[in-house]
Amino acid sequence: MMAQVLPAARRYGIAVVTVALFGLLAATTDGFLSQANFRNILDQQSALLIAASFATITMIAGGFDISAASVFVVAPLFALQVENATGSAGLALVVGVAVGLVVGVANGLVVTALKVNSFIATLATSFMVFGAGFLISDRSVLRASTDAYPAIARTRWWGITTGAWIAAGVVAVAWILLSRTRFGRHVYAVGGNAEAARLAGVHVARVKTVAFALAGAAAGLAGVVSSSRTLSALPSDDFSFVFGVIAAVVVGGTSIAGGEGAVWRTIAGAFFIALMINGFNLHQVDPIWQRVIQGAVILAAVSIDSWTQRRPT
Amino acid sequence: MKHAEALVSVRNASKRFGATQALEDVSVDFETGRVHGLVGENGAGKSTLCKIVLGVHAPDAGSIWLEDSPLRLLSPAEGAALGLVGVAQELSLLPAMSVVDNVVLGTEEHWGPFVSERANRRRVEALIDEHGLEVPIDARAGSLSVADQQKVEILRALGRRSRLVVLDEPTARLASHEAAELLDTVRRLAERGVAVVYISHFLNEVLSVADTVTVMRDGRIVRTGPARLESHASLVEGMTGRQIGEVFPPKPPAPADDAPVVLRVDGLSSTGAEFADVSLQIRAGEIVGLAGLVGAGRSEVAHAVYGSLAVASGSVEVCGHRLSGSVDDALAKGVSLIPESRRDQGLMARRPVRDNTTLPYLRRFAGRLGIRASREQEAASEACDDVGVRAESMLTPVAALSGGNQQKVLFARAVLGEPQLLIADEPTRGVDVGSKRAIYEALNRMARSGCAVLLVSSELEEVIGTCHRALVMRRGRIVAEHEGGDMTETSLLAAAFGPGDGTARGRSQEPAAAAGEPR
Repeated sequence: MMAQVLPAARRYGIAVVTVALFGLLAATTDGFLSQANFRNILDQQSALLIAASFATITMIAGGFDISAASVFVVAPLFALQVENATGSAGLALVVGVAVGLVVGVANGLVVTALKVNSFIATLATSFMVFGAGFLISDRSVLRASTDAYPAIARTRWWGITTGAWIAAGVVAVAWILLSRTRFGRHVYAVGGNAEAARLAGVHVARVKTVAFALAGAAAGLAGVVSSSRTLSALPSDDFSFVFGVIAAVVVGGTSIAGGEGAVWRTIAGAFFIALMINGFNLHQVDPIWQRVIQGAVILAAVSIDSWTQRRPT
Repeated sequence: MKHAEALVSVRNASKRFGATQALEDVSVDFETGRVHGLVGENGAGKSTLCKIVLGVHAPDAGSIWLEDSPLRLLSPAEGAALGLVGVAQELSLLPAMSVVDNVVLGTEEHWGPFVSERANRRRVEALIDEHGLEVPIDARAGSLSVADQQKVEILRALGRRSRLVVLDEPTARLASHEAAELLDTVRRLAERGVAVVYISHFLNEVLSVADTVTVMRDGRIVRTGPARLESHASLVEGMTGRQIGEVFPPKPPAPADDAPVVLRVDGLSSTGAEFADVSLQIRAGEIVGLAGLVGAGRSEVAHAVYGSLAVASGSVEVCGHRLSGSVDDALAKGVSLIPESRRDQGLMARRPVRDNTTLPYLRRFAGRLGIRASREQEAASEACDDVGVRAESMLTPVAALSGGNQQKVLFARAVLGEPQLLIADEPTRGVDVGSKRAIYEALNRMARSGCAVLLVSSELEEVIGTCHRALVMRRGRIVAEHEGGDMTETSLLAAAFGPGDGTARGRSQEPAAAAGEPR
């Protein structure tokens, strides 16, 4: 009995729990089942989903990238400087993504060539990137000078913001990349057993570097989308964005040890957390208690992961 | 000292894990001052039986007695407190700590919160004197040889006034002279009045060290009796229920003299001291064994040919094409490698059978929208059927398969590659006799289809039973070549040990019927 239930529960647990939470909120909470509420949730989650879907790939490849927060904060500062100088939102978008890509490639090279532990490597690059943000912005808030920049994420197609559409597109790309391509298989192989991957002809360092690079670019895009939503960007050294990203990945059930996970898991994890917070807000739960409960949920998810790994299969 | 007194008795014990009946109605006595050998194939229940005695598992039915009182252990710590100790196959030392610290770990002499270094030292020195187990006590455990580490583990067990010590495959990672030394230690342990349970796949070791032998099969005890009444053949028969000769299928016909040379290695030398000036050729359809002692450089040669180990000089040609020395290139030119350790070098344990089988050859299934799942699935399941992988589905994680089936997944991967040259490094290590035969058959089939096979093996009987020709390595060089009837255990062993050291015992003579435990 347990032998069949356990793997299935483990496999789809987060999806089941997220749907259950949805049902619970729909049944008990006024104002939850409204189009406006859903659009809001989607729009609010867009930046996180963009960064988290590619952070999932990095984590499966056995890397732990915490530089996403710094890229998220700093890429839009570069983008807005370009926008202010040239008036081109398109160029700004490209620059924002490029900043993330450069940081990601640097992370990948430090991790693979210098063999620095990825947590430490990306912590170090984070400080450098945060610093660059203060320099490029001259420590002040940067605002969009054109209407085109806010339009990147705020335009509505069929009632849904372009920010959410971009997120959907990025998620789809990450999903296909991971589940349907050779690169995706190599990511799982590298994270699951790097030596075995090497002996099977996988270029371990290249795969890892590409994973970090893509995660950096995604974090840059997330930053641009977020600043487009809020019309401005502020230099800071705030790590909180990446904690949200990691929480979504881990609550979804992607293994911190690498080798296991999926993009759909991260989507489910992100929406689970988002629905939980939405429910709290609609029920007017004290935000301080929200944090406590959110922390407990993450702890529970990771505990379940480590517990199921210990079970004989 | 009183001999032959049951220290621990197991009565009618049964244990089930999910669908597997690991132990069924097992009764056995472990006696003070005796070495009790425990043999059986993988999954026969040896380890489960010992875990029940040590308190790792509780039996579902039956009882355990310590001397005359019933024993109900809830944890291994409780067992250890009563002097029932296991020395695991995987060592559990703290590599950064000294030998002294490792031996007294958890039972340090102390004065209040302060550890008394001097008292600990004295205690360990006394232990070493008493048992004659020489180890450098100030060395860091991680810097010792595996044999010395094993001694530290045993000292640790002795330091706890152990009454029963379970040794699970203690010599699996030792060179032969180290193994011989360990067997002496085991004997001494018994002479001190300890009940020793000795699990090993090396049957000659069991026969030489044990007083009593219990043969297990499928969770049951086949028989328990004095070791002097058993022979190698009788143990194999008891373990497997079949005769020893049935392990090896008939060899494929030897290749004709004009068969094309598939592999040509010329003057290959490693960048370090692993091997030097290695030259060899293998023809299409030929199975060549690479024999020698652990550490002779055989695996290194295999990896150098495959391109996963850099070389300083020399060349490797496959079917006339020179290899560039990268794994990619080797795969592209039709070379497959089945690495020595399937867990560390072969498989992604948590990934499905399908992904593990197709990993090096995904390019073949490329479609416009990524991998074509149905074609991949089909190819994987065909290759797995070909070598007889028994798995629920292609999407089952390989960790859920038995050791033999995991090994067959690696063979399926090789079959999928349709290689010109197959390099198999200890392909039957840690698999049971039934799976062994299937693996030999797979090797034969590859050879019959014209593939050249290089088989690296530590089991001489395996080399003799499956290969057309054997090369023997010693200290990084090929020192002998024997063909057909010239391949005997004596000729191969003599070459492996070199002149003046023909006395080494046992291990390499170990026939293939004794399966090595997975590590």
